[in-house]
Amino acid sequence: MKIRTEQFVEIAREEMKNTRSKAFLGLLPPVINAMRQISLATFPDPDAAQAYGAAIRGEVVTRLPELLEEFERNATARGTKVVWARTAAEANAFVLDLAKKKGVAYVTKGKSMLSEEIGLNDALIDNGVDAIETDLGEFIIQLLKRPPFHLIGPAVNIAVEEIRDLFMEKGILAEPTEDPVALGYAARLYLRDKFHRLEMGVTGVNMAVAETGTIVNVENEGNIRFAKSSPRTQVSIMSLEKVVPTMADALHMIRLLCRNGTGQKMASYISFDTGPRAAGEIDGPEEVYCVIVDNGRADLYDDPVARDVFRCIRCGACANICPVYTKIGGYPYGWAYTGPMGQLLTPLLLGFSGTSDLFRACTLCGVCKSVCPAGVDHPRMLLYYRARDAAGDPRLRSRGRPLKERTLYDLFAWGATHPRLWRQGAKRMRPRVNRGARDGYLSRSVEPLDGWFRSRDLPEMAEKTFHERWKEREGHKAKA
Amino acid sequence: MPYAAREDILGKLKKADRREEAPARPPLPPLTEVGWGTEQLIEKFTENLALQTGVVHRVADRAGALEKLTEIAQAEGWKAVMIATDEVLAPLDLAAWGRTNGIDVLKAADFTARDAFKDAVFDQVDAGITGVDWAVAETGTVALVHDERQPRLVSLAPILNVVVVPVDRILPVYEQALERILAARGGMPAHLNLITGPSMTADIQATPFKGMHGPRRVIALLIG
Repeated sequence: MKIRTEQFVEIAREEMKNTRSKAFLGLLPPVINAMRQISLATFPDPDAAQAYGAAIRGEVVTRLPELLEEFERNATARGTKVVWARTAAEANAFVLDLAKKKGVAYVTKGKSMLSEEIGLNDALIDNGVDAIETDLGEFIIQLLKRPPFHLIGPAVNIAVEEIRDLFMEKGILAEPTEDPVALGYAARLYLRDKFHRLEMGVTGVNMAVAETGTIVNVENEGNIRFAKSSPRTQVSIMSLEKVVPTMADALHMIRLLCRNGTGQKMASYISFDTGPRAAGEIDGPEEVYCVIVDNGRADLYDDPVARDVFRCIRCGACANICPVYTKIGGYPYGWAYTGPMGQLLTPLLLGFSGTSDLFRACTLCGVCKSVCPAGVDHPRMLLYYRARDAAGDPRLRSRGRPLKERTLYDLFAWGATHPRLWRQGAKRMRPRVNRGARDGYLSRSVEPLDGWFRSRDLPEMAEKTFHERWKEREGHKAKA
Repeated sequence: MPYAAREDILGKLKKADRREEAPARPPLPPLTEVGWGTEQLIEKFTENLALQTGVVHRVADRAGALEKLTEIAQAEGWKAVMIATDEVLAPLDLAAWGRTNGIDVLKAADFTARDAFKDAVFDQVDAGITGVDWAVAETGTVALVHDERQPRLVSLAPILNVVVVPVDRILPVYEQALERILAARGGMPAHLNLITGPSMTADIQATPFKGMHGPRRVIALLIG
């Protein structure tokens, strides 16, 4: 996938004029939010359940290396082949190499944000192994070559007419129809044959249980179950923060993930793999590979603020309720991760230069933090990013702010710490500044300050400064 | 890549400053379901599965289950079914039932190779029939442990899944099902599924429908 995060502002502007996107954003997030509320209310104490989830994820972040080692030990003991990959290239090379060794013409893909992050599909397809997305939404956007609009419903905004034409063109649909159910059924039949002949399935991982060495997948469609039942080889790829301490923790997180993600009490299928198939099983994989991918995360782990991003379980609750996401949709984020979790994760993974719009496009209202079942403090992290970016932190690949901006703020700081000069300056500047005022407000300025006024006003400078008024008041008192 | 990658990643993680310990866990939040009695468990299981469009029939005994199955088979026009051979289904003797009703009753043991089994379960049967290891009232969920008696594709590939649930196997919450599975098997089985209703999606214009890749319908026969 081509990364378009640098064009955040342009794409956001286009999307705010896109009537289709606007219609879906007006409709879908409120419905999911309501369903989320209803499903959370089935907990006797929803706040306690959310807080417990946050505690589990907090513990994962603190004990990450030990939990990964425990997972590896237990998974390996049961026959899972655990593979570590430092970079996207290493992970992709491993999967490609395995597919070549097994001589498979194609693999089916279960929905995996990590695979989009590392560009696994392109790496396979460019080297002669077809990679077929099988989650209905992912299947559609793969054919359309479009980024995800929404974490859970990546193609939910695509018009049925467009899907009809696409399916006709690709030979997936025999008779044209605009019925979503008939379109879905056509995709079912097309992909069913792929599942039937499947020799290698590639899926993501929702949780990896350290205590038992178990891989957990949460889904509604059944495509992931097929990828773990039909072929002889199963490849599960996970970013390293997916681990949880115990099976009890996994069950609690499953309850939270379903409720916060889709507003369901339970997804249709939760599947647990502990090693390859048992003796005597006629289906199921003969080999299970679990690829643990770092892709820059270990370097961030030393930063006690940044590493809190590893709490995230990718439920998407933050996006559905975010006042920015619900206006602009998923496209402006320009990559695999949309909404507030994308605003946190993308700058860390891609570096701050080129992604700084992401951590600035936020009002710090904190509603994301209030719904998060993993205890992510989004506003705190975004403020931290802004501060690190202003300082120009090379570890976060930040170039720092432009010279002009820095000089301006240095000048301001110098003035503000010299009271006498400040007062003199204010007096001299007042008539010049107020010349631009209209109805008592300043709404524009000269370069480089004009950007600030794009969405803000200031009252004009008062006739007298606070200090002058104070002095006069004290003077009157003295006379009286 | 291999070993060096592992050492590199774990090395970096372990070198990090982790003096800021995570605070202790709060108490485990309560689950209301744990207090439910037998009839309430049956009622809630039925109610929750029905919410997912699952159809639930309650019968008194095995004879009643076979009778119901015959009714379903006739209504659906079954010619062939694929069955599991778990300990819930085994005493029903579905092979004999099939002979009586003129239905081909297939099972994994009839096939020597994976591919032939896949051909049958994907293309040649009208339904997959399974028992359960446990069922969970919390969400109308069935827990299936997969092994030679319970092939993975029986509850997945056919368009209709019939699941036979003795009522004494319905438990309040997932934790209790897992506890029993771990105790019986001395650890996690190779593959375990928690199944709640049919396969579904809402990926086209947020229109929800059942039967995306897996079964379009789930019918549960409660015995007892």
